[in-house]
Amino acid sequence: MMKYIATFYSHYGAIQYRKNCEKMDLEAVVMPVPRDLSSSCGTCVRFEAEGEFPERNEEVEQIVRIEDSGYVRIYHADEE
Amino acid sequence: MKKEKTTIVVAGVLIGVIAAMLVFFGNPANMGFCIACFLRDTTGALGLHSAAAVQYIRPEIIGLVLGACIVSLITKEFRPRGGSAPVTRFVLGAFVMIGCLMFLGCPFRMILRLAGGDGNAIFGLVGFVAGILTGTFFLKKGYTLKRSYKMPKLEGGIFPVVQIVMLLLLVAAPAFIYFTEPDGGPGAKHAAILISLAAGVIVGILAQRTRLCMVGGIRDAVLFGEFKLLFGFVAILVSALIVNVILGYFHPGFAGQPIAHTDGLWNALGMYLAGFGCILLGGCPMRQLILSGEGNTDSVVTVLGLMAGAAFAHNFGLASSADGPTANGKIAVVIGIIVVAVIGVVNSRRKEA
Repeated sequence: MMKYIATFYSHYGAIQYRKNCEKMDLEAVVMPVPRDLSSSCGTCVRFEAEGEFPERNEEVEQIVRIEDSGYVRIYHADEE
Repeated sequence: MKKEKTTIVVAGVLIGVIAAMLVFFGNPANMGFCIACFLRDTTGALGLHSAAAVQYIRPEIIGLVLGACIVSLITKEFRPRGGSAPVTRFVLGAFVMIGCLMFLGCPFRMILRLAGGDGNAIFGLVGFVAGILTGTFFLKKGYTLKRSYKMPKLEGGIFPVVQIVMLLLLVAAPAFIYFTEPDGGPGAKHAAILISLAAGVIVGILAQRTRLCMVGGIRDAVLFGEFKLLFGFVAILVSALIVNVILGYFHPGFAGQPIAHTDGLWNALGMYLAGFGCILLGGCPMRQLILSGEGNTDSVVTVLGLMAGAAFAHNFGLASSADGPTANGKIAVVIGIIVVAVIGVVNSRRKEA
């Protein structure tokens, strides 16, 4: 099981994303964004998934995979 | 995670010491830092209100923005963005300021007043927590001002550049800038420019690194059971308190506290409005300055709203004084609470997947 963190442009986006995770039976929690991920004080969703995870919507800022060595960036909106 | 907690406590301790020392170097009592008061003083210096007792370009504000800007440029966290309901943020900012000037201080000064023994700030704290709880209720209901978007570098850089212009105006002191006469009120009490500026820069850097925020601590504790930011809040209180005791600035009591009044109800309601508004904005006035330095133009608009609120507060006689709140101020705070509540309701969405 891989662990991921998704950050959002708004608190509302995070809440919505968690709901989408739960619909796919993925374990997900909302929490404050870790400092090393972002200087903003928003809300993030930490979730576990085997392969598939919810489609990213407009509100998703970035998604990272948590590895022992640190965060591995999977997606960042500013770099599209 | 553990490291984050240590960092924020150390930062809080340093900020508390710096705030208490600024009073030693000449700032008004229990006002080493006060974002609301200092933005109000700067607004007055620009002639946007004419309360002669509170006019001075506060270098602490300039330092906070520039400190956050410089460190975010170094860490590549300077990311200009904006476009998340700017007019709503402007209005929220204006009413947050009106709430702060009812109480006579922003959330930061509320901590410093507590650390100076000002019992009236306890009423402020009660109102502040209640305001935050009301705000988080809306967050849980799906409140959002919609997302922000990437902006050009120039757009994010304008506000930090404006701060440099403000510093030049302070040093050059042209005739069109207003400064409170010596002994003419709180505006005349200030540390030397370089000390104030350095204090602002250091606190700006610390606050950017730790994301310290006066409303964020209580919000995260309520929403997530996450107490990290709250530790920063407590660290400022404890360290400022200790320095105040050492310097002989700790005077517990209610009556005769510096730049404060004893009307408990309105102290509480003023901070209720401030706490409620700040949650809907996503951060306290200090945090808005830090985000402004990082290129967040939504926060810049919020700061401009705070300044407009300060001008309204003094032009319309809404700001309290040591004698207590004014009738106009009470009406404005009630209107503010209603307006903020309406903004909360209108921007909260029903569950939709």
